[in-house]
Amino acid sequence: MFDFLVSALTFASLYGLMALGLNLQAGYGGLLNFGHIAFAGLGAYGTGIAVQAGYSPWLGMAFGVLLAMGLGGCVARLGRKLASDYWGIATLAIAEILRVVATNEGWLTGGAQGIGAIPTLFDGVAFLLMMLALLGIATLLCQRLADGRFGRALRLMREEPQLAACMGYDLTSLKSRAIMASAALTAIAGSLYAHFMSYVGPDYLLASETFLLWTMLMIGGLGNLRGVLLGVFLVQAAYSLVPFAKDYLGFDSDLAGALRLGLIGAILLACLMWRSEGLIPEKVRKIA
Amino acid sequence: MSTSREYLLSVQSVAKAFGGNQVLRDVSFNVQRGEIVGLLGPNGSGKSTLLNCITGFEAVDGGAIALGARRIERLQAHRIVRHGIARTFQLPSMPTKMSVIEVAMAACTRQHGVLATLLGLPALRRAEEQARAKAERLIDELLLSPVRDLPASALSGGQKKLLGIVCALMGEPELVLLDEPTAGVHPNLRRDLVEALKRLNAQGMTLVIVEHDMHFIRDVCSRCVVLDRGEIVASCRPDKLASNARVIQAYLGGRHSPQALEENAP
Ligand SMILES: Nc1ncnc2c1ncn2[C@@H]1O[C@H](COP(=O)(O)OP(=O)(O)O)[C@@H](O)[C@H]1O
Ligand SMILES: [Mg+2]
Repeated sequence: MFDFLVSALTFASLYGLMALGLNLQAGYGGLLNFGHIAFAGLGAYGTGIAVQAGYSPWLGMAFGVLLAMGLGGCVARLGRKLASDYWGIATLAIAEILRVVATNEGWLTGGAQGIGAIPTLFDGVAFLLMMLALLGIATLLCQRLADGRFGRALRLMREEPQLAACMGYDLTSLKSRAIMASAALTAIAGSLYAHFMSYVGPDYLLASETFLLWTMLMIGGLGNLRGVLLGVFLVQAAYSLVPFAKDYLGFDSDLAGALRLGLIGAILLACLMWRSEGLIPEKVRKIA
Repeated sequence: MSTSREYLLSVQSVAKAFGGNQVLRDVSFNVQRGEIVGLLGPNGSGKSTLLNCITGFEAVDGGAIALGARRIERLQAHRIVRHGIARTFQLPSMPTKMSVIEVAMAACTRQHGVLATLLGLPALRRAEEQARAKAERLIDELLLSPVRDLPASALSGGQKKLLGIVCALMGEPELVLLDEPTAGVHPNLRRDLVEALKRLNAQGMTLVIVEHDMHFIRDVCSRCVVLDRGEIVASCRPDKLASNARVIQAYLGGRHSPQALEENAP
């Protein structure tokens, strides 16, 4: 029971980091990134490939972060001429391409089997404590970024791009900086995910993972850090509680899997209908 | 372009069409440093489009635009702003999740990098402090203090116009283009606006103002440029407008007397 709780919380904080990353783009920048998981995937594969080749895991993490930031820069520039919804579809496609590459380039990525035997860094509780500390630091940094001059420019671009341009903001550069910052954070989370599971495989890059992150943001509240963390917690709790209910009520695993998704879908639907801005909506920031 | 250095803004033979609609045909005019130029013309004559072309929000089909000696007609909007041209919009729309003061502070674009923001470098803190002081002062000057902490989208149309002007003035531009600044603004406030614009002009700011209110134009503008169907038809002092045949023709189709112009339009 204790182990279960530790692992559930660790998962929650891993997803928390990724959700904070997505919130930087989607919450503050209004960027509809539907391929966000690609950044986590690059972090995870960077780590896996480096470890497999005998390098230190930290080097692997740095490698993954650089790859993700590079991809982020490219994706931002790619979107320059696209309307935001088409850009979102392009990001989805890019993440899918990466997943197909990861599945097929077996010499590099281990193909469908993935790469195993990645060291776990710390065990159980120690890893959780590290994750919680990281999540706390990341939250503080995101808060600072969002309320500060960079976040202000980003939030203005999200709501009134024309006004932002006529103040002299370079929107392409703002976008690419937001995406790259988000990519770095998410790649770190992806790398730690690989360590925690001591494995990386193409399933990490499934589009459903991105949509899970989007669900967390939409339930909790885009553009509000407390909302984001609440969303992560609720979705992760729903995920973890269903197996309990399964044992307790005695239905089979297939049904449990379906119930999990159904429950999250129901929460999302309820939020969209009654709290369209999420449980804790973004507020106007006070300037004393 | 030997004369371009003498003028702050020089627009030469600018043309712009939307599909088959030739909005600007062959627009040429110059603005000298220190002038307040009124840009007049009937609705749909292309005034806002001209401002959009000058500020890089629309690409010109042909012609040249220069700020001082620098050609700007191919630059992106944010670059043109950085060279010293600020503007407001005819129908400003403002963000819902930012307060009036925050929007005004956002108009100061110095030091907004990711690392600078994360580290809170001294240069950034200074920029933030200056932006705040300046935003407070301009908000006070344009009588927006009572709504300082409201979401900017909650302002009335006239207040949004004033906030747009605040934003335009934040960067200390050389040249400001105002698109119908008094439309929707309360008459009492109009006087304050006239005073504020004259004060800024006395400090060296050059202004181009699209406006329909004749009293405002007479009070503020040193010269008027009249646009009709995509061409400049007159450039004269405000008090000479009513006796300018081409202006009367532009507004009234040539069927009315100068008195009619005085009474109705522009
Ligand atoms: N983005 C656009 N697309 C198509 N037509 C436009 C666009 N902007 C302006 N126009 C057309 O250009 C003409 C002039 O518009 P505008 O410059 O707004 O006039 P004014 O500001 O002088 O009232 C109008 O006929 C308008 O329909
Ligand atoms: Mg107009």
